[in-house]
Amino acid sequence: MTESLNVTVDRRDGLAVIYTEGYINNQGGEEIARVAYDLLDAGYRILLLNLGGTKIVNSIGISILIEIIEKMIEVEGRMGFCCLTPTIEKTFQIMGLAQYAPIFPDESAAVSQLKP
Amino acid sequence: MEGGLSTPGIPPEAWNELLALSRDESGDRVLVERGLDLWRRVCGADAAAIYLDKGGFLEREVACGTALPETADPAAIPAAFGVRPFPGGRLLFAPASAAPPPGSEPLGHALTALLASSFKGCRLRQELKEQQFQVNYRVVELEALYDVGLAVTATLDLDRLSEEILLRAVSLLDARRGALYILEDGHYRLDRTFGGQAAPLFAADDAEVRAFLTAGGAPPADLLPGARYVLGAPIEVESGARGLLAVGDKESRRGVGPFLTSDRRTLALFANQAAIALDNARLHREALEKERLEREMQLAAEIQRRILPTGAPQLSGFKLVGWYRPARQVGGDYYDLFRVDENRVGMVVGDVSGKGIPAALMVSTLHSALRLLLDRTGLGPDLLEQLNRHILESSTPNKFITMLLGELDVRSGVVHYLNAGHNPGLLLRGSGSVEELGSSGLPLGLLPMARFQSRFISLDPGDVVCLYSDGITECSAPDGEEFGTERLAGLMREYRERPLQEMLEAIRDATDCFAAGLPQGDDQTLVLLRRDTL
Repeated sequence: MTESLNVTVDRRDGLAVIYTEGYINNQGGEEIARVAYDLLDAGYRILLLNLGGTKIVNSIGISILIEIIEKMIEVEGRMGFCCLTPTIEKTFQIMGLAQYAPIFPDESAAVSQLKP
Repeated sequence: MEGGLSTPGIPPEAWNELLALSRDESGDRVLVERGLDLWRRVCGADAAAIYLDKGGFLEREVACGTALPETADPAAIPAAFGVRPFPGGRLLFAPASAAPPPGSEPLGHALTALLASSFKGCRLRQELKEQQFQVNYRVVELEALYDVGLAVTATLDLDRLSEEILLRAVSLLDARRGALYILEDGHYRLDRTFGGQAAPLFAADDAEVRAFLTAGGAPPADLLPGARYVLGAPIEVESGARGLLAVGDKESRRGVGPFLTSDRRTLALFANQAAIALDNARLHREALEKERLEREMQLAAEIQRRILPTGAPQLSGFKLVGWYRPARQVGGDYYDLFRVDENRVGMVVGDVSGKGIPAALMVSTLHSALRLLLDRTGLGPDLLEQLNRHILESSTPNKFITMLLGELDVRSGVVHYLNAGHNPGLLLRGSGSVEELGSSGLPLGLLPMARFQSRFISLDPGDVVCLYSDGITECSAPDGEEFGTERLAGLMREYRERPLQEMLEAIRDATDCFAAGLPQGDDQTLVLLRRDTL
């Protein structure tokens, strides 16, 4: 188990996929936010968070993800999640994240749905 | 009025912007930022920020222009900053020399009022959002408790369940670290950890550990080394403790801090649910393990059955029968009846020290080695000396085998035998006298330099040879008395005129009757050979 979050990005045509591996907590959430805002600054308006490497997220991490979603709405962008564990998916549903950032079972489904 | 209001020093656009802001009902934070920026521009400031008083310290909430510090001491605001009163805090701007132009007071008052009102709306909205977040997260907590409860019936994989429990505890309590311990043999043994090291073992009766778990005492120093705040809860079921769940360093946006009282309650509730789930999974694992062992034992018993002879060779002028009954599924007795060549037949009865799988494995080794050596060297002292060395090399210390091997030549009626520390075989003569086929060497596997001797007996018509294991003669009655060789010899005499198979069954039934229903204590093996009467 890793305590710190490892974030990588795959930039594609008009869409960026953010891959996470590890704990989405305060530090992990901040790292995702930093990467997401850099992508927004670079002109990306569609972000997909692939959480396939994440088994655990806490309330601080969730609040930061909500801030990212709010920012995406503000800039009229789109955001989605994919490859969530059942526990994290359930948490996101309850916390209302799924209302504004849809959850997809896998990356290909997410990309095809999010792309214009 | 739009575009018609003018104040010396203030461009009409500023009034228009204020009017537009005042008509905006969104109550959004952006509105506050735009209002603050208008205020900054009207005042000619480079930077402006609204600070709220939080516990005697000012914390920056909204800012525009160049950066102002995140926090400020209200009693020591640097002279470089200008200060204006603001509901619940202060409005700071820089440089301090910036000031509204003459005659702009109405705009300044209106802007401040608008900012205060918008900011209040914004804060209320934020508070509502945070409360909604907290309510939702309470639902997540309840769901987690419910899910772990469900796992009682759904998840029987102990490893997966343990990981799930630890991850959920860490995330629910916003902890940075955690550890799960399982109680084994009076110690809490570290099962898994998250986010850092944890002590591998604690004595369950350690006073410090007990105080930590039951009375909220300080955690043991090395429970989660380096953690500033540690919370723990026992994992208990009705029948007793099963483990320990510990989490460390509660996170907030500003770093880590102590856990709350409600966190202790949440962890205790969670640990209770986890206890039932873990106990259930543990029982399931034990049942699976038992089932696996039983399957292995069945397999071992099947292998052993295949080693044993399925019948005795048919001989001209002689009858030969054998019987074996293990005390458990697999046994440590060994016997074999085999044809050496057209005129000779071999008989072996052996007894491996110990019982169960280890003894059965040695029986298997003995069988393979004996058959190989018989082919290579034939019966004799050399065979037993080589076998002895092989057993010494391939067995664990203190394991040994007693064995009586015989080879009958049907032409001469002579039995060539060697006895390696085994119970002496019995030879019942036609006269009714009984002779012993005594030991001619040490048991196999004791000493590397052990020596063995060949011995010979000649069978006359009607003579009966009995090879047996100690499970026959040491079979006990409820009062502790042993069956003994006298009873065995007596039965041989009694049944000497009867078919050999009948004699064998009589001995078997007599030992059963003697034990009077007591469980069989040891493997039982019996081989009988009789020379036909003329």
